[in-house]
Amino acid sequence: MKLPETQLALLEAASATDPKTIGALTEEIGEDTAAVTRAAFELAESGLLAVEERVLEDASLTEEGERYRASGLPELRLRAAAVEAGADESSVEMGRLIDRSDLGGPEVDVALSNFARKGYGEIDGGMIALGDAPEYDPEADPEAEALDAVGVGDADAPDDAILDRLETRGLVERTETTVRSVTLTDEGVTALMEGVEATETVGALTPELLTSGEWEEVEFTEYNVEADAETVHGGKEHILRQTANRVKDVLVGMGFREMEGPHADADFWINDCLFMPQDHPARTHWDRFALDVAPMDDLPADLIERVEDVHRNGVTTEGDGYHSPWDEDFARAVALRGHTTSLSMRYLSGHAVGDLEPPERYFSVEKVYRNDTLDPTHLLEFFQIEGWVMAEELSVRDLMGTFTEFYEQFGITDLEFKPHYNPYTEPSFELFGRHPETDELIEIGNSGLFREEVLSPLGVECDVMAWGLALERLLMLMYGFEDIRDVHGTLCDLDLLRNVEVVY
Amino acid sequence: MPVVEVDPDELRALAGAEDKPDSELKGDLFSLGLEFEGETDDGDFELEFAPDRLDRLSVEGIARSLRYQYGHDRGLYLPETNDAQWAIEVEGSVPEERPYVTGAIVRGLDLDESRLESLIQLQEKLHATMGRGRAKGAIGVHDLAMLKGRRAGDDDHGPATATKTITYRGVEPDGDRFVPLDDDSDRSPAEVLETHPTGETYRDLVDGLDYYPAIYDDVGLFSFPPVINGKRTEVDEGSRDLFVEMTGTDQWTIDRMLSIVCYALDARGGRIEAVEVRYDDRELLRPDLSTDTKRVAHDRIERTLGVDIPGTEVVDLLERAGLDAEPSGGDGSVRPGAAPADGRADPSGLGDDAPDRDAFDDALSYDVEIPSYRVDVLHPADVVDDVGRAYGFNELEPTYPNVSTVGGRHGTSRLEDAARDALVGLGFEDLLNFHMTNEEALFDRMGLAPDDDALGAREPPTITGPYSEAYTVLRTWALPSLLMVLENNTHRSYPQDLAEIGLVAGVDPDEPTGVAEHRSVAGVVARTDASYEDAKAGLQAIARAFDTALSTPPTAHPSFINGRTAEIVLDGESVGVVGELHPNVLVEHDLELPVAAFEFRLDGLR
Repeated sequence: MKLPETQLALLEAASATDPKTIGALTEEIGEDTAAVTRAAFELAESGLLAVEERVLEDASLTEEGERYRASGLPELRLRAAAVEAGADESSVEMGRLIDRSDLGGPEVDVALSNFARKGYGEIDGGMIALGDAPEYDPEADPEAEALDAVGVGDADAPDDAILDRLETRGLVERTETTVRSVTLTDEGVTALMEGVEATETVGALTPELLTSGEWEEVEFTEYNVEADAETVHGGKEHILRQTANRVKDVLVGMGFREMEGPHADADFWINDCLFMPQDHPARTHWDRFALDVAPMDDLPADLIERVEDVHRNGVTTEGDGYHSPWDEDFARAVALRGHTTSLSMRYLSGHAVGDLEPPERYFSVEKVYRNDTLDPTHLLEFFQIEGWVMAEELSVRDLMGTFTEFYEQFGITDLEFKPHYNPYTEPSFELFGRHPETDELIEIGNSGLFREEVLSPLGVECDVMAWGLALERLLMLMYGFEDIRDVHGTLCDLDLLRNVEVVY
Repeated sequence: MPVVEVDPDELRALAGAEDKPDSELKGDLFSLGLEFEGETDDGDFELEFAPDRLDRLSVEGIARSLRYQYGHDRGLYLPETNDAQWAIEVEGSVPEERPYVTGAIVRGLDLDESRLESLIQLQEKLHATMGRGRAKGAIGVHDLAMLKGRRAGDDDHGPATATKTITYRGVEPDGDRFVPLDDDSDRSPAEVLETHPTGETYRDLVDGLDYYPAIYDDVGLFSFPPVINGKRTEVDEGSRDLFVEMTGTDQWTIDRMLSIVCYALDARGGRIEAVEVRYDDRELLRPDLSTDTKRVAHDRIERTLGVDIPGTEVVDLLERAGLDAEPSGGDGSVRPGAAPADGRADPSGLGDDAPDRDAFDDALSYDVEIPSYRVDVLHPADVVDDVGRAYGFNELEPTYPNVSTVGGRHGTSRLEDAARDALVGLGFEDLLNFHMTNEEALFDRMGLAPDDDALGAREPPTITGPYSEAYTVLRTWALPSLLMVLENNTHRSYPQDLAEIGLVAGVDPDEPTGVAEHRSVAGVVARTDASYEDAKAGLQAIARAFDTALSTPPTAHPSFINGRTAEIVLDGESVGVVGELHPNVLVEHDLELPVAAFEFRLDGLR
């Protein structure tokens, strides 16, 4: 039989007839108590050893108790001083006695209260008089004797009541200890007779073990591998960023290039280029965030002229303009963009990366700003997925095919195209899709073919189809979040962000 | 988007679909673009739709669309208009801010409670949409029986056909008094603005004018547009003949609003009667229900829909959309020919299967006649959309566009992502905060003043007339956002190592937009033993990862502890600040443990 070293040493030290305590065995073997105790139980488990437990009561002196054992109990010292000062004849001033007995700090109160309790005499008006107990033997005070007994480790000697008193006075601490003693079982005896060898176990695999080659000889202590480890929070990319990156991956894979541009922009790029009439409700104070900065000078004059013309008169001879006011100052006013279609306008006009020739595909997943009512699904700032395709000829079917492909990447199928109205696209569609989990029909985007009134001033002579979608909607679909405020903004819940499930 | 309430039974009756169950009706409405949002307490449908088809702002208009969809009606419908008996005279005193007026009379109506409600709803919805909150166009509907026209010939207006006139003119704010709707005592227009609830609501529209717009008959002032009508001419269930007037800032807009109202009242059996509108320099006969014509190339339709459609079918589809279409060949001529057996018009006379069918269609175009209530049609593309809707867009088979392009990320976004990966690798929780915040959060709570010489101290772009005190400016730096996240998460376990890469901005007249925007990298280390070292260690790792040389000369920043603050210098350029946050800042954010922090410009890593 092979046993770990500690178990073997314990087995050899134990006796079949004479129970030995773990404490004694620990000293004998020279290992720590926990290891020996564990070994004893392990041996008991395998039937080689019997473990018997007894509960022992013990008492020990507290720090204060030790002090009084050395200097005498304060009340005894006070009494001794009183006897010496003749207080058995007439009252003596308390202050004098205290000085004389060399009592200090809290000891004075201890001395006075116990003096009174033990009936040594009377304390009245700062005077102390010894009472009628001259026969009282200070040398035989039971509390002092008990203190002595506990001090020498003979806690069994004193009376329980006296020990209780000393414990109340905070001079003695009583403890219960479990004493385990072991005896060899018959099986243990047999095993020893048959011969037991040691297997070595180690707690940690150390560099020394590895370099010395000792690791070949050892066995590793078993861990409780089922226990929970400490909680750690690794860093994590924000889930909305993760979702944005997922979208970017898909779009790049579909041949789209990323656009980049200003968050604060002239209304010209945000709205006028999009053939949004200047008195459109979305352009009123209540829907946009105008900024308190100077109007934007740096706008292409020829483009402004063409855009104004199309607003007033429509395109060529076949179109009509709006019957709405158009003011260049309003076009130059700077606001936070309400959609990233402002970037599409900058790119399509050739002012971002030069003139574009079909075919092109561009996208952006960036923040837009709208003065919406804050609720679980609406924030004042959110991410818009914006994408467009430019080609010589595009039909509604191409638009449908592109979106079918895109949304399929996110598990959204069975797209429905609800004819819709946007000032800047025609035909326009709201996109509806089946929720991958709930199977509900939900709105997932807005799309269309850019109108000639948008493209013609920009100098684009081919077809462009575009669509927009709130990234948050996709996130809520993918993660099943109900309140977007938990993740986006300073009211976010750190635990939610830390513990959110990975989606890939 | 507008929402209209319609009684489904009334809709069924008007649409000639009495037996349609609710579910089918909702489906038919959805395919028209009207989404069922819910039901009112009275069981009315609440229907939401995009603000293009403003003729559908009433049950009558929606029913008309359904009738076309069901095939009960085909092609353009033009109501008859009787000759004018009444005229509106426009006087020179009319305020130049609201110069235009139009009007119509509708006789022989049988109004009950729900019809009256529908009319009032149409009026209010038109105000909210085309009327731009009554600023651009405002509607007044009056009981004609209560009006007393001035006899024509009383002045010098030549040989007018109409014999009774009313007057659109200006009135002094403290001028003639009248009893407004929902009131019992007479008031001057100025008093209406002060004391009447409706007056208070629309006061801004006329405030500051020397003369207010007003409409008079022979008795006196009976309408104070765009604010309120007089009580004398109030319409009730007993009113049979209505006088409808509209005033506004654009003649076309109010004329089209009037068309929509006239079409709705015509659907209720009303007989429309013209009204003369006499300006100083011209005379108009209203309502103007004349049609517009757009020429639409057959090729454009096929190109947009991506399918081949026979010309015969296009005409059919347009008629089902309530339009009239006259096909013409490429040279403008129409080939004569017999109609196909199924009754459709066949412009080619060739039949669908004729061999030169395609060639004929390619040269084909349509002169499409559009009724005046279709305020949304600006361009042939809008007619193509009608064809598509009638065809059924969802009938089309999706195709992936057969063009090849090369995709790719923008350099800035790749840099941002790489920096974010580096921060996450260092154990930072990546956060996402709002770009909009307020000056208290940016400055006061950080112990910073906007004119300090320190990171974050600069003039923030300010929102004009902000709606919420919490969001008044764009943030000039990102650390205040992270501090607020720490503040709101003190009940969560520490350490809290948070980072954010996001937009910060400042006013800068040298930028084209007047706003300097850049990406900022901010991080906080909040733990019981957080120290400068922790922040600096993270910085060092990032600088190393991007192969930039980092040095941190001592500096002072009001948000940080003096002597434990350094400038972040990357490749010789000062780009940020690192240090231990000042106890003032921590206490302000209810934090009970030290926080080391850094913030620097993302482009410093380039």
